[in-house]
Amino acid sequence: MAEKHVVIDVGDGAALPRKRDRGLFNAWWIALIGALSIITYLCITRPDPYWRVLKFLPDGILVTFQVTILSILLALVLGLFTGLGRISKNRVINLIASTYVEVVRGIPLLVQLFYIYFALGQVFANLPDSNALFIFLKNMPPLVAAVIAMGICYGAYMGEVFRAGIESIDHGQTEAARSLGFSRTQTMFYVILPQAWRTILPPVGNEFIALLKDSSLVSILAVSDILRRGREFASVTFNYFETYTMVALVYLVITLLLSKVVSTMEERLNYYERR
Amino acid sequence: MSAAEKIISIHNASKFFGSLKALYNVSLDIHTGEKVVIIGPSGSGKSTLLRSINRLETIDQGTITVDGKNIDAPGSDINALRMEMGMVFQSFNLFPHKTVLENLTMAPIKLKKIPRGQAEEQAMALLKKVGIEEKSGVYPVQLSGGQKQRVAIARALAMSPKIMLFDEPTSALDPEMIGEVLDVMVTLAKEGMTMAVVTHEMGFAREVADRIVFMDQGEILEIGTPEHFFERPEHPRLKKFLSQIL
Repeated sequence: MAEKHVVIDVGDGAALPRKRDRGLFNAWWIALIGALSIITYLCITRPDPYWRVLKFLPDGILVTFQVTILSILLALVLGLFTGLGRISKNRVINLIASTYVEVVRGIPLLVQLFYIYFALGQVFANLPDSNALFIFLKNMPPLVAAVIAMGICYGAYMGEVFRAGIESIDHGQTEAARSLGFSRTQTMFYVILPQAWRTILPPVGNEFIALLKDSSLVSILAVSDILRRGREFASVTFNYFETYTMVALVYLVITLLLSKVVSTMEERLNYYERR
Repeated sequence: MSAAEKIISIHNASKFFGSLKALYNVSLDIHTGEKVVIIGPSGSGKSTLLRSINRLETIDQGTITVDGKNIDAPGSDINALRMEMGMVFQSFNLFPHKTVLENLTMAPIKLKKIPRGQAEEQAMALLKKVGIEEKSGVYPVQLSGGQKQRVAIARALAMSPKIMLFDEPTSALDPEMIGEVLDVMVTLAKEGMTMAVVTHEMGFAREVADRIVFMDQGEILEIGTPEHFFERPEHPRLKKFLSQIL
């Protein structure tokens, strides 16, 4: 029956607090209140440098969100097509999708970032100024390179999430839709994907949070995210301990709040299961 | 009956799973308005035959034509042909993310481009017909098995099919719910709907069928009227089958 609910455990994101998991649920509150208390305490007792660091970071928070959201959007699009490709009966499409997943998963994200920005950057530097695309590639902003690299990397993981989500839907759903006259594509978009979402969303939420944390890697490409802003502050003031303490706490608060958002959305998506 | 009235024509259809004969040299015509009930032991190929008619299963040999069109021909539009055939499954297969009403209106709106208001009006009329209009706003999870199957029948009817295919529609139901589903099917039969029904409900077969088809091991062994079937069965395996279930 279609009522079965498969939970995909990707396991590399932040933990989603659930009320029935008392331990985790309490830990979420302890971590959040603890982090906020420490931030408040430090900023009140030692405004210099803690309050100064905190005031310096918001620009970086915006950039981190910008990179994360753009990357996840690219990853979702790539992931949808990859997931569909991985279940495709067309052998060529299937092979292309599977190869993409295998290759991308076998190369560390940091190496992929370097590859797209520095290695391909060198290749692009030799392009002629003959059209707009070449000119853009020659002067590719680090933020664009970062989003492309992270999107491609997470797209491969997302592809597996989409594949598992689609495969979790009972085959009877496909048969019912096809027997009514829906085409294969219509069946996917009207019947399968709307149901697969509730299986897909929790791991996508986890991937989003994991991606947000991994986005700190883009600071190496001189993208002014949270970590980069911290580095800039520390290199001027030499307050390494205080700066990175604040950076870590800010990341923690953000990921904790996001995990709450994700779990709330997950509950909402289960509306039609409620009796 | 004349050839022009044939809506389904199955000619020498065979299907193999390795060396297993799921269907072997099956030929069967179904005429407009006719009610054909297919019976047989499990694994006899009766569901495979029914599912082959709308190509949920593909046959390896032979031809199946629906409304004069070969469903396996390279240029045939299987999606258009399927719109003319309503299918009811053993496991209901309602769309759980849609309300009962939306289950009925989705295909007419998306595929036949019927305006939403009109589609909902037709859907409500069908829900009333299957006796479940008060449940139009709920999700399938809130329905009993018998209610689900009645909605599934209404969903198939919403496409105004020329023939209804029933694949063991009562086999997944609790005994007390079988009657309500059979009642809907009997009403449908009396209204003149063309029906092909795979079932173990012999009472239904006796009451409704114009012809009963007995299948075993992928082959049709006997075809006849209910009277012939239950009073004067000929094939030894049919006699044995009937003695086991009656």
